[in-house]
Amino acid sequence: MDKEKTPKAGILGYVAFFFAIILFSGIFANADSWLRVFDFNTLNGSFGTITDAAGKALTFRGANGAGARDGFIFAITLIPAVILALGIVNVVDGLGGMRAAQRMMTPILKPLLGIPGATALANIANLQSTDAAAGMVKELYDNKEINDTERSITIMYQTSASATVTNYFGSGPAVFGFMVCPLILPILVMFAFKIIGANMLRVYLKFVSRKQSTGGAE
Amino acid sequence: MEAKENAAAASAPKKTILDLFVEGARSGWTIGTTSLLPNVIMAFVIIRVLDITGLLHLIGVVFSPVMALWGLPGEAATVIVTSFMSMGGAASVAATLFMDGKLDPIQLSSLVPGIYLMGNPVQNIGRCLGISGTNTKHYVPILVISFINVLLSIWVMRLLLLVFD
Repeated sequence: MDKEKTPKAGILGYVAFFFAIILFSGIFANADSWLRVFDFNTLNGSFGTITDAAGKALTFRGANGAGARDGFIFAITLIPAVILALGIVNVVDGLGGMRAAQRMMTPILKPLLGIPGATALANIANLQSTDAAAGMVKELYDNKEINDTERSITIMYQTSASATVTNYFGSGPAVFGFMVCPLILPILVMFAFKIIGANMLRVYLKFVSRKQSTGGAE
Repeated sequence: MEAKENAAAASAPKKTILDLFVEGARSGWTIGTTSLLPNVIMAFVIIRVLDITGLLHLIGVVFSPVMALWGLPGEAATVIVTSFMSMGGAASVAATLFMDGKLDPIQLSSLVPGIYLMGNPVQNIGRCLGISGTNTKHYVPILVISFINVLLSIWVMRLLLLVFD
């Protein structure tokens, strides 16, 4: 079990994780040089334009559409970004990037959430999958590695912005093109609030259990 | 678990970066077509129905005093309500409102983390809370805190966006 808690990440994993941060941070989005190749939106590129009768350039989605038909074409324009993002995420994962993230985050998460380090693997899995991570939490409880309160705090961390990376890159492309901040900023805010939320529950449960032990509950 | 991980480690070198990319891209296609696309269409239809019936305007008027606290127009309430059911749907509703000129780029950006922080309670009560066997007594506080996360995150995003404005 100890090995499971601190898996070997390898230098490649760290490089891959760092590379992913750069790519999604957008810091090279406006670079004039070849460095802009390290930007997600540069790699995602753009659709060509079609000229309308008035000579105005439109994307193939056109203008003034509405309803399901407009939604369908809009969704089609988003799918390349989802394919590209999840392709990149899988490469980073396959090179050990998620293990590198786990190694870097374990010492941070433990004091911040006040729950046993054994939950780190489940909480990292939660970056990519809601169900797999929740299953791991159940296993931890069944093996008596965490108690009822610790399970709830872990799940509070997990359910708010669950499967963060997959959901954000799976549906976020709907708004990516209109956002005025780097793609990575909302993810960082989500991560911060996952931790803040878990601590709100931690305080709440402490308060409730104290009330119960003094007979003040219900 | 450990055996599974070792097996994964042993088979890892066989997959090249190209294989990994294609594998991830394939799941991107699946998510794009089976999750994103239906959710976007749902959002477009919801907004169209609300628009034609005049409900969108009504929501805008009714919620405008409350949403003003977050620097948002009343219509933005539809994004938050949709996020109870679907993250992808809420993101698409936000995109639609932006394209209709009801949200400005700052307002749209400030809503993004909240869409996910709500944690899609309609699904996650079964998936996240249910699968883990979480104490049902803690369900309500967990959902309430998710909602508090949403409300606080909009303010925090507003502050952070000042840097990019």
